[in-house]
Amino acid sequence: MDASLSIRQLTKQFEGHRALKGIDLEIPAGRLLVLLGPSGCGKTTLLRSISGITDPTSGEIWLKDRRIDAVPPEKRNFGLVFQTYALFPHMTVEKNVAFGLEMRRIAKPEITARVKAALELVGLDQHAARLPKQLSGGQQQRVALARAIVIEPDVLLFDEPLSNLDAKLRDSLREDLRALQLKLGITSIYVTHDQSEAMALGDEIVVMADGEIVERGTPIDLYRRPIYRFTAEFLGMTNVIEAQVYGDVAKLPWGEARRIENPATQNVEGVAIRPEDLGIEPVDADGHGTITQSVFMGASIHYWIAAAGKTLRAVTTGGSAPILPNGQRVRLVPPPSLHLLRAHKAGGRP
Amino acid sequence: MKRGIGPLALLVLLLPGVGYLLVFFGIPLVRVIYGSFVSRTGAGFSLDTWVSLFANPVYMDGLRYSLWLAVAPTVASLVIAIPLSALMQANETSRNVFGTLYKIPLVVPGIVAGFLVLIILDRGGMLSRILQPLGIPMPRLVRDDLGVGAIIASAWKNIPFMTLIIAGAMAAINKDVLHAARTLGAGRLTVLLRIQLPLAQPGITAAVLLTFIGSVGSYVIPSLLGPSYPKPLSILMFEQGFQAGNWPLVYAMGTLLSVVAIVVLLAYYAIIGSLGRQKPVGT
Repeated sequence: MDASLSIRQLTKQFEGHRALKGIDLEIPAGRLLVLLGPSGCGKTTLLRSISGITDPTSGEIWLKDRRIDAVPPEKRNFGLVFQTYALFPHMTVEKNVAFGLEMRRIAKPEITARVKAALELVGLDQHAARLPKQLSGGQQQRVALARAIVIEPDVLLFDEPLSNLDAKLRDSLREDLRALQLKLGITSIYVTHDQSEAMALGDEIVVMADGEIVERGTPIDLYRRPIYRFTAEFLGMTNVIEAQVYGDVAKLPWGEARRIENPATQNVEGVAIRPEDLGIEPVDADGHGTITQSVFMGASIHYWIAAAGKTLRAVTTGGSAPILPNGQRVRLVPPPSLHLLRAHKAGGRP
Repeated sequence: MKRGIGPLALLVLLLPGVGYLLVFFGIPLVRVIYGSFVSRTGAGFSLDTWVSLFANPVYMDGLRYSLWLAVAPTVASLVIAIPLSALMQANETSRNVFGTLYKIPLVVPGIVAGFLVLIILDRGGMLSRILQPLGIPMPRLVRDDLGVGAIIASAWKNIPFMTLIIAGAMAAINKDVLHAARTLGAGRLTVLLRIQLPLAQPGITAAVLLTFIGSVGSYVIPSLLGPSYPKPLSILMFEQGFQAGNWPLVYAMGTLLSVVAIVVLLAYYAIIGSLGRQKPVGT
């Protein structure tokens, strides 16, 4: 299989609206790349251009050494899984999965065997004779997955496949999906607006905004060391604090100074402190801020703190974490080093 | 603690709906069927009318011709309406272009459509005047034995109705389902045949029903464009009723036409039903 995908200067122009503004993207063979961004950022348009459903306005798409952007979708051999499942409602589960193989004029005994194997892989071989409407949403999406992988596609494309499912089912199907992708080793692109899904699934994440790629990296890099404020704020919560920067030292508004791990001078938006990295200590008087609101989430407690003229978020965890009342004065304990964020031209605030 | 509704109360509650059907549809229908079994002199039960109906080739040819003038325009409209409906799904531009064009015949009354076809296709009409200088002989298309003119006029009138219904049924199909079929290897034609047609089938059936029933009893178009022999039952019924005063025969023809129309539609449903049935993979 070993199919790497390469996208060069891809643009898509809708009436008076540029949905894609020259996307360059390389996806190594066998990896799962997540396209993450807010709705309207162009991630679905990009995926649909890769699948062939949407015709890009300009640019090139290469599968290994074959240019495919003019190839119709039925000749691309890509598997596509939709948010709406998109099963054929008038066909049984078995017929749905067999459809792609029938299109490839494969002999009937082989179709039967491959359909059975694919349905076993997604744990639905017992439901082969049912119609889609007789299955739950999660089961329907498993059928759609079986239908996409049974054709042994060069590339698997996922268009927000878990968005229509409830939270619990979403988590379990997400795990199964990742396990299956690793097992089959099919080059995959996964579109989502859900940052936890992106981090759990992606070998790499590409953050998109306004038809452009903002930043690309592994989940760890993008979460811990994002270049841009847009990325930091889109991947989970973060406090962006305007600090005075002196070379590789930043002075926080409440007076403390810390070393900067990524010194920069251009387009600096502030320093980022994740809520879980911002320590709080209750004090009787003085302190840096006041707790204005708190939410007990079981595993963690979320605090809103009025400090330095804005509202900061802090998260404490563990059974021994003190539960602080509203109005409590606190001292803020920043992490040992600080991370600078820069502004991206495409990203406003997510 | 079940508070059942008594049979009498049930009857009263059903009366507005069922009673309406009974009075305005059931009773006239029974009257028509009953009327066909009354002798012409009005003296009691008689099979004479039915015997003469089946024995006389004028009426049997008329029945066949009625069916022909219903089936042929239905098939012709379907052949045009289905691709038109599918094209309208393709993109915004084709939806706007075809969506406007196909509605034009909707606002033209049947008799006007008949005269339009007459003006264009009749000998000495527009088409023959164009073809004559080119040396191409004009075939007989109006008042011809096959009823080509009548079929064209009827199809022209019915295509918009069919397209309206079928395009509506196709537009209701989730676009992702069509996209999924494409990515799985189906070309546009395969998507139409394997996905769009089966999923739009209830709409297609409704369109076929409306066109067929509308055409099987149509009077205006065949009397304007049809041949002098055979005449469809609709025209024969008018003649026998208002010119010959043979009402039992009119009732018998009406009954026969309705029964045959029902049989044709049942056969259609049977065929569609067997197409839709699922066959297991690999057997």
